[in-house]
Amino acid sequence: MHRETITVIKVRGVLMVTMPADPDDATISALQEKTLEAMEEYEARGLILDLSRVDTLDSYFARTVTETGKMVNLMGGQTIIAGMRPAVAITATQLGLNLAFIRTALGVDQALDLMSEEHPV
Amino acid sequence: MNKASSKSKGVVIEPQETRSSEASGDLLRLLVENIKEYAITILDPEGMVTSWSPSAEKIKGYKADEIVGKHFSAFHTPEDVASGKPERELAAAAKDGRYEDETWRVRKDGTRFWANVILTALRDKKGNLLGYGKVTRDLTERKRAEEQIRQQSREILEMATVPVVQVWEGIVLVPLIGVLDSERSQQLMEKLLERITATSSPVALVDITGVPTIDTKTAQHLVETIKAVRFVGADVVLTGVRPAIAQTLVHLGIDLSNVTTRSSLAAGLRVAFGMLHLCVSAESAD
Repeated sequence: MHRETITVIKVRGVLMVTMPADPDDATISALQEKTLEAMEEYEARGLILDLSRVDTLDSYFARTVTETGKMVNLMGGQTIIAGMRPAVAITATQLGLNLAFIRTALGVDQALDLMSEEHPV
Repeated sequence: MNKASSKSKGVVIEPQETRSSEASGDLLRLLVENIKEYAITILDPEGMVTSWSPSAEKIKGYKADEIVGKHFSAFHTPEDVASGKPERELAAAAKDGRYEDETWRVRKDGTRFWANVILTALRDKKGNLLGYGKVTRDLTERKRAEEQIRQQSREILEMATVPVVQVWEGIVLVPLIGVLDSERSQQLMEKLLERITATSSPVALVDITGVPTIDTKTAQHLVETIKAVRFVGADVVLTGVRPAIAQTLVHLGIDLSNVTTRSSLAAGLRVAFGMLHLCVSAESAD
């Protein structure tokens, strides 16, 4: 029912997803499924996950983001999370969000720069 | 002889003479009329204004004919009037003989001033309540000065605890000095993240030259801060890693393998410039 809340768009070979302010579990699962489907369909260079609207982060969200980063990496893409707010970042350290396969950027602009620098078309 | 020396000091009050008590009464009246800093008012037992001094006019804005006969709750804020404070003040003064308060009061034009108010119950020899003497002092200036000092000291303290400065477009610097305890680490993390996002700076230099020692807890705090900075999308360059600090970090088994570290701030700044693809060149000599 809630799957419509996630929209994956493709811009110049990069997937972009903007998370809503307070995503529920269904939205979070939809994020992973839709992203991976789109990775396959478009053979995208990677995923930019815009978190600038998000103001709450729970352990399920943190785990899903970590996992999705690994999965996207296995499919040959780079995941960049963009625009995480300070308060969410502090929560993220406590929840053990893992950045092993994920890059970060201050905003979507910087994320696009990073993507074209490190994973050119 | 005695009289001459007293004269040179100014006012002489001779208590033995019958006229002097009248004279001192006159002087007292002159004092009440001329004193500027205190508004002196007499209230009747119900709290109606019966006597009004020029200083009261100056401080509160009412002329004598505008306020005499009115209830003294005219000087209270609407909130105080609604909560019945004027009546409570009178009751307290009647019970204890005296009531003192520092509070907001209202002038005729509606502006508020911070006042020290003393209400004194006036009784005759049999103990019947004749009214109240009310002395009000305008302390707005003092309160404002106090608040300014408090605000400044708060800012200085905050600045001294974790000073975060932007040293270049895209680079913020935190020179840490002194012991890094849990509370300071928390402040460091919050302030640093806030400055990074506000200035949109991709690089943060954290300089620990001034940190005397590092223990496991401090190191853990630093690692967490560095992680949080990564999450918002920036990178930390840890500078000022002196030999003793380097030894301690290795002995404690702190993993900083994915953090850029440098021994001096200057070296760290060069790394930061490199991350932003900036280069520093000396100006040609000619």
